[in-house]
Amino acid sequence: MSTLEIKGLVAHVETKDGIKPILKGVNLTVNSGETHAIMGPNGSGKSTLAYTLAGHPKYVVDDGEVLLDGQDILKMTPDERAKAGLFLAMQYPVEVPGVSMTNFLRTAKTEIDGQAPAIRQWTKDLSAAMKRLKMDPKFATRSVNEGFSGGEKKRAEVLQLELLKPKFAILDETDSGLDVDALRIVSEGVNRAKEANQFGILMVTHYTRILKYIKPDIVHVFADGHFVKTGGPELADELEENGYDQYLPEGADSESALA
Amino acid sequence: MAQNKEITFPVADPNNPYAMPAAMPSSVDHAARSFAVDDFPQPNRKQDEWRYTPIERIDEFFDTFKPSGATVIEVSMIDGSALAEGITLSQVKIGDGLSGSVSKPCDRVSAVEWNSGATATVLELRGEIAQPVLVHVHGAGMDLDAFHLVIAAADNTHADVVVEHDGEARLAEGVEITTGANSHVSTTFIQEWSANAKHVANHRIHVGRNASLRHSVVTLGGDIVRIRMDQDFGGEQGDLNMLGIYFVDPGEHIEHRTMVVHNHPECKSRVVYKGALDGQGAHSTWVGNALITPNAPGTDSYELNRNLVLTPGAIADSEPNLEIENGNIIGAGHASSVGRFDDEELFYLQSRGIPETEARKLVVRGFFGELVEEIGIPAISEHLMAVIDRRLARGESDAMAQVLEDK
Repeated sequence: MSTLEIKGLVAHVETKDGIKPILKGVNLTVNSGETHAIMGPNGSGKSTLAYTLAGHPKYVVDDGEVLLDGQDILKMTPDERAKAGLFLAMQYPVEVPGVSMTNFLRTAKTEIDGQAPAIRQWTKDLSAAMKRLKMDPKFATRSVNEGFSGGEKKRAEVLQLELLKPKFAILDETDSGLDVDALRIVSEGVNRAKEANQFGILMVTHYTRILKYIKPDIVHVFADGHFVKTGGPELADELEENGYDQYLPEGADSESALA
Repeated sequence: MAQNKEITFPVADPNNPYAMPAAMPSSVDHAARSFAVDDFPQPNRKQDEWRYTPIERIDEFFDTFKPSGATVIEVSMIDGSALAEGITLSQVKIGDGLSGSVSKPCDRVSAVEWNSGATATVLELRGEIAQPVLVHVHGAGMDLDAFHLVIAAADNTHADVVVEHDGEARLAEGVEITTGANSHVSTTFIQEWSANAKHVANHRIHVGRNASLRHSVVTLGGDIVRIRMDQDFGGEQGDLNMLGIYFVDPGEHIEHRTMVVHNHPECKSRVVYKGALDGQGAHSTWVGNALITPNAPGTDSYELNRNLVLTPGAIADSEPNLEIENGNIIGAGHASSVGRFDDEELFYLQSRGIPETEARKLVVRGFFGELVEEIGIPAISEHLMAVIDRRLARGESDAMAQVLEDK
């Protein structure tokens, strides 16, 4: 049983127009086995929260702490956070030319586990996981994410989630850019990985459709850099019905204007 | 109607393409070729071919010296066994036999090398030689030394030669490579010098009619390494494939200059050099010249240089030069780039638990691996990948070294 506690997290990004505060005091506790959906309008800071937790250098933390089983991960480099048990499935997975998926996955697995996986078992696990995600075996020999379609990239993220077995998975708009079939395959992959490893999930999403496949225990509304409302799964339905407008700060651009 | 006037193009002598300058003299064409040191001026940074070189760090190579003779040369098959049938190894007085038969020195350091050394090592290859020949050049100290190697492949020969350099050295080296008609040969030069080594080399290369030569250079260490390669063809349908890999550490200067001359019709050349630079003051130079003379219609040439700058403070100079004196060609292309290891790539790999230094290695291995795969001679490409992995695994944990080795 693990716990991820976010306490009073404040962060900004530096733009050419100066410092732009994005996270304005985020508080959240996630336990193993729980699935939290984080929903909110565009530009509210949902993705920033995901990337700040993973340690992206673009986001500067001003205050607060993030404890994974009592250890402050904000003091760690991104790779140390991953080793501590954090996994971020990215909305736009990065292409790394020249590095094969096989080599990348095995290197990551070796780092996370602290020892190289036994080669025969690893090969078996990898091909089985790829088969379940309906990935062409040829992907293993291609460069990381290079030339992958949007759907293929998301499957590759879920593949890593299954193989690396984190304590907490942050899914940043994993549903974006997926057709119905791909959404189902990817969601099943997430559910399977969770079933096997009982990790906690922070699922950042804009739309409710992924929630039909990955059932949240708790739904949060995130607006203007912090959580403004928390409820059960029924909150998602209410958002689907009424939109985010009521949560936007006074004078902010409406959702439609941003879209 | 305008009067047609017959134009006669000058025809070069195949044995000496520089004897007759082109109608419009090209800048590389009027460079001196001579065995005499004093036919070349003392190098300075104002001269085009020395502009990137920190000449003050190699000025001991600018005048004839007495070689120490300490460098240890061992020649065997790559598995360590005795030389196979078809291979003749001999030592000759420099200037005798086949030595000095491939063109002439093209710059002062090459002439100094020729005049300083007393003997040449001659490797003659004939027939089908299944396993690569390994020439191991082991530097045995910082006293100035000279080494001259001739690799001569007879007509119809199939052979591979690997020349490996390691140890501490200040070495002036001359290599002559000549391949006979219809031969298929590869020569691979690996520099794994210690961090203080200095290596100034010239390769003079002659590719036979309807022959193919795969010439690879892998430079992974040394305080300063400068290798100049001058090539020409001996007849139609020659195929030259030059490949280079270099990894430059802080403070090192690694320079490769490839000079390809298309002096016969319907020959093909490819020059692909890739380098990674790491750290403050790491400096690489690649200058790729390609000259297509008026008598070389149907030429197909391409040269490419890519540099990957891993950390701030490194400098990569990249200069492709094309001189095309014949419009009737298939192609003469070039590409050159200097790119940075992307922060987003780094973050992605880190977010999967891979520390920054490992992430860089992974990317560099991939960057070079793509090129090594193209060699297509398993014995050579596997050997090169092992050398690259050894370089990348310096100071590596055993577990990660294992992963890198297993690919």
